[in-house]
Amino acid sequence: MVLRPSRLVNWFLAGLVRTFRSVAEHAGQIGLLVWNIGVACVRLRVPRRDILRQFNIIGIQSVMIVLIAAALIGIVTSQQGGYQMQSQIPLYVMGSVVVESVILEMGPVLTAIVMIGRVGARITAELGTMKVSEQVDALASVGRDPIEMLAAPRVIAMIMAMPLLVSLANLVGITTGMISAQYTLGLGSETFFYGARLFWHSYDMLYSLMKATVFGAAIPIIAVHMGLRTTGGAEGVGRTTTNSVVFMTLTILVLDAMFPPLFLN
Amino acid sequence: MSAGGNGSGAAIEYRNVYKAFDLPVLSGVTLSIEPGEMFALFGPSGTGKSVLLKTTIGLVTPDRGDVTVLGESVYFGGRDTLERIRCKVGYVFQYAALFDSLNVFENVEIGIPESILKGMSSKEVAHRAWETLELVNLEPRQVMSKLPSELSGGMKKRVGIARAIAGHPEILLWDEPITGLDPVNTAAIERLIKQLSDELEVTSLLVTHDIEGGLDMCDRVGMLEGGHLRFVGTPEEFRVSDDPVVTAFGTRAAAKAALDTLEIS
Repeated sequence: MVLRPSRLVNWFLAGLVRTFRSVAEHAGQIGLLVWNIGVACVRLRVPRRDILRQFNIIGIQSVMIVLIAAALIGIVTSQQGGYQMQSQIPLYVMGSVVVESVILEMGPVLTAIVMIGRVGARITAELGTMKVSEQVDALASVGRDPIEMLAAPRVIAMIMAMPLLVSLANLVGITTGMISAQYTLGLGSETFFYGARLFWHSYDMLYSLMKATVFGAAIPIIAVHMGLRTTGGAEGVGRTTTNSVVFMTLTILVLDAMFPPLFLN
Repeated sequence: MSAGGNGSGAAIEYRNVYKAFDLPVLSGVTLSIEPGEMFALFGPSGTGKSVLLKTTIGLVTPDRGDVTVLGESVYFGGRDTLERIRCKVGYVFQYAALFDSLNVFENVEIGIPESILKGMSSKEVAHRAWETLELVNLEPRQVMSKLPSELSGGMKKRVGIARAIAGHPEILLWDEPITGLDPVNTAAIERLIKQLSDELEVTSLLVTHDIEGGLDMCDRVGMLEGGHLRFVGTPEEFRVSDDPVVTAFGTRAAAKAALDTLEIS
């Protein structure tokens, strides 16, 4: 069957309207969720025990995977940098390349990607299952607010954990980058840090932690939002979790692209 | 047809409640349930019985109309009123909806409203949970520390009931409490419902497909069909009703006979 141009335009416009409506719906619901979490925090209604429990699950239990990812990032950055600079640029510049790449970009972004897989997907699947099995309704039925009991502790714990995890990732990434440069390029640690200091701004560390905090808020907010709007049983949980991971990844990449024009001159 | 009750001093009052998802589910339901009364609601699957039950404590928001519980409006009273209402109402979910990550003791404990819980010592809380589990014919010593995944279907239902009554509610809402149970467990849970309603002197609204059980236990019964209350009256009136849809629900034989002649929405 051949589609007529008018039908094609109608189909395209209908898709556009659907997408716009869906984006507006998500934006509105996320706005409301953020507001309600804020209100819960201001009213001091978020159980501290739950924040600590989530901090353990989200932060402490993620340390190992984040450190492994960071160690590999440092090695890869150092290796590729060395390959590209062969005999063209003084080797001490490698120190700056590794440190700046890890702190400004690789540390926060790759930690966020790891956390999407480990924590974001878990939050969506957990809350989605609670939603479809009426546990969220059950919580509300006994006079407890699901935002205060389920959403806020996860968001607060992640906002607290991300800067710490990114700091660790930065430290480990730089260390492995330096060691890798020493063994493969013959670049000593003193020369490495000499290069790093040449182009170092203290603001870069703040920039890295700002990214970590923003990513640390975005991931659980989206994960909670997607989890709490899950419908349709086990299949619905699977579908929502997949959509949530895509949604979180794209959001992190978009936020990452917005950071340099906003915060780096 | 009168929806029953005089509307003044009612324990629960539904006023012209409308709710549509993709299709209309409730189309102007008006019903009063008097204090201390035990009311059973029958009707075909998907006709909005559980939705009506959920509007009672704000788990589903009607598109139009209002619900008042013990004289307070669920939808126009604000957040604090809703919280207060939820503390006075116990809700027994169809599939128990126990919290997977909490053991039986914690599941029952969470049924005690926060305002009451704050004034109780941990010994008093443990005593209340113990007492409540005994009331639903569970052996506290054996089940206290078990997770919901370690319980049978009948035990889960009982823990769900224990959670609903732990806060000493004035109203109990039962959403198909015997669904999925064998005949012996069905009889046991039905006896428990009657016993609890009598002992605790609460108002009960029971949504069930077990017509005989509902007719035996309740003071009045209603039938929801096509979004409207098709019948409200005493069990005796239900048994002698000449409405063909009501008659079809009376016995299995009548239901089979009605299959070819009636169009039940």
